[in-house]
Amino acid sequence: MPDWQNFEPFIVSGLALGGVYSLSGVGMVVLYRTTGVLNLAFGAVGAMGAFIAWSLINTFGWPAVLAYLACVGFGAAVSLIYGMLAGPPLAGRDPLVKAAATIGLALILLGSMSWIWSDKARSMVLPTTNWRYSVGQVLINWTQIIALALGVLITLTTAVFLRLTGLGTAMRALANDREITAALGVPVRRVEATTWVVSGALSGVAGLLMSNLVGLDAATLTFLVISSLAAALIARLRSLVVTLAAGIVIGLVNALVTPIFSISPYRDMTPFVLAAVALLFLARHQQVSFARRIT
Amino acid sequence: MRRNGVFARLALVLVATTALAACSSNKSPSTTTDATTAPKCGAGTGQKATGEPIKLGAIATKQPGTDFTDIPNMAKAFFDCVNDNGGINGRPIQYLIETEQTDPGQVASLAKKLVESDKVLGIVGNTSIIECAVNHSYYEQQGFYIIDSGIAPECYSTSNSAPVNMGPRYSVDGATQYLIRQGVKKLVLDQSNVPGTGYIEGGFLLIAQAAGIPTESLKDNVPIQDANSVALKAVQAAGQGGGVVLNFTPPEALKILQAAQQQGLQDRVKWACSTPCNTDFLANALGPQWNGKLGVNAELNLTTAAGPDSELYRAVQKRYAPNVALGSFSQMGFVEASIAVKALMSVSGDFTVQSVNNAIKNIKDFKTDILCKPWYYGTAPLHLPNNTDRTVVPQDGKMVEKEGCFAISDVDPAIAQVRRIEASS
Repeated sequence: MPDWQNFEPFIVSGLALGGVYSLSGVGMVVLYRTTGVLNLAFGAVGAMGAFIAWSLINTFGWPAVLAYLACVGFGAAVSLIYGMLAGPPLAGRDPLVKAAATIGLALILLGSMSWIWSDKARSMVLPTTNWRYSVGQVLINWTQIIALALGVLITLTTAVFLRLTGLGTAMRALANDREITAALGVPVRRVEATTWVVSGALSGVAGLLMSNLVGLDAATLTFLVISSLAAALIARLRSLVVTLAAGIVIGLVNALVTPIFSISPYRDMTPFVLAAVALLFLARHQQVSFARRIT
Repeated sequence: MRRNGVFARLALVLVATTALAACSSNKSPSTTTDATTAPKCGAGTGQKATGEPIKLGAIATKQPGTDFTDIPNMAKAFFDCVNDNGGINGRPIQYLIETEQTDPGQVASLAKKLVESDKVLGIVGNTSIIECAVNHSYYEQQGFYIIDSGIAPECYSTSNSAPVNMGPRYSVDGATQYLIRQGVKKLVLDQSNVPGTGYIEGGFLLIAQAAGIPTESLKDNVPIQDANSVALKAVQAAGQGGGVVLNFTPPEALKILQAAQQQGLQDRVKWACSTPCNTDFLANALGPQWNGKLGVNAELNLTTAAGPDSELYRAVQKRYAPNVALGSFSQMGFVEASIAVKALMSVSGDFTVQSVNNAIKNIKDFKTDILCKPWYYGTAPLHLPNNTDRTVVPQDGKMVEKEGCFAISDVDPAIAQVRRIEASS
């Protein structure tokens, strides 16, 4: 077992990854609650946005900030297009069918990335990564701080937005009952479109951060969805605050078991183990429900 | 109205696809070639070969994340060049490339197709994760002597497969030797958690043990999802004055190295990597912070090296295979095809499976500036003709030579056996 001092840098690494898992999980939960779609293409959309940003910077010489905005814009646009094309035909279908349809989108994007960019080694380093300072023996960079801060900030902002704004109220109403909400005159398609755009933009932000924290790799960024999905499941696809906490715990546990060689090779199971334990714990006295209501 | 909606959706998909394709960075190779500098290959007559084709075949892995087709594609480029220069005594080489997706049944049937249906006379340029293990017995029964790029242990340990490369085990050996020369106090091997890691680890452990250096072996699942933690773990395991050998594909190695850099770990230990890291793409992605700090074992010469074969390799790639990247893979394809052409040129009489494979088996003292020492086939029970190689390091976005040719340690038993065979022949 390593010394406590050896664990310290892993805490920083875990918190940063946890922040991105939370950010992604919140995007997935809000979309699921509003549209009934569990978007398993969340990671692939962000991955492709990051690759486009890489190409815009390195091939076309765009300023980095514009390329990052293009990444976020791509996430929003692709998600909106998918939501508008696939949303209406699938509106009345089972949530499982809707989730399976997003796997199709993920595979198309994954194949496109493989075709366009191949699997050559690339890197995209955000300028904030080069701004660093030391706390004791641990070197912390600003991308790690931004990742954690964005996770917290977006969760809290989204929660407040859902409570205090008219659009937020409409989204919560949609989460409760789509038919009644439509009958009350709420522009359902417009509210859903907005949700797709916001969720897609979050996938772009997550893609940018992960391409820097982990690497610019199509498969890695696509499978980011696994840890985020686990965070969302622990929150029973309902609570944004629990999603935030779960994402951070997953990131932390995953990082903290890394230096323990005896269990390190199995650390990829962390999201599944934590999700299973949480769901079993929550089901002690009651039936676990994924009813569509945001809290 | 409904039709308009469908058209609108189709237009959206088309626009999106076009925009994405425009972003591609590596699918727009220059097709410009200079007719006045057409490379001379084989007989070098400048006349197209028009006789009855001589069929050769290859099997390569091509699946998402693993694409070895640069190797046979570059071999084909060389054969095309030979065909434009008189072929083999006026007969062109017809080269059939099959791709597989690591399915043993598929790989076995592709070998049968090439040998029994297509009637190829030789197998040259095979590069597959499982092909040697699946087909070496079949090839032996059929009298084929394969020139390949080895991956599975059977590519190196059987009588009828001779690779131009060394493969991951011996490349890790070379990277380990480099770190020992750098004076490290402890050695850590970190590799992807896939089947075969125990075999690769064997040489590393023996060489470190012989040098009296403690070791630690780590395995990480790929794709790596937490590169910062992986880099930290490796550096902590190596400790002050230690060294880390990485055995990953370039994108995975890049994740670890980039994470190490972001955490200021690149100077805490010495770093080395097996052959896959030997690409300018990786050197460019790492940037100048890694100048001279990553020793990469190079089984073949630099793609920018001087020398007639290296120059011909670049000329053939430019004219016949502009879509194939310059790199270790295409160098392997070029060398394999060059060896095959030398063998075919030596055939007197009819071209049959027996005459072609006898010629391949009899190749010895094949000199090229792409390899450290002459390549040979012969009748030994195992083949590791490439057992001497270099170390390269990244320097301003390119790989440059750090150490000239050195012998892979014969502490590794297979290398010792090969050296005995070489000494006795």
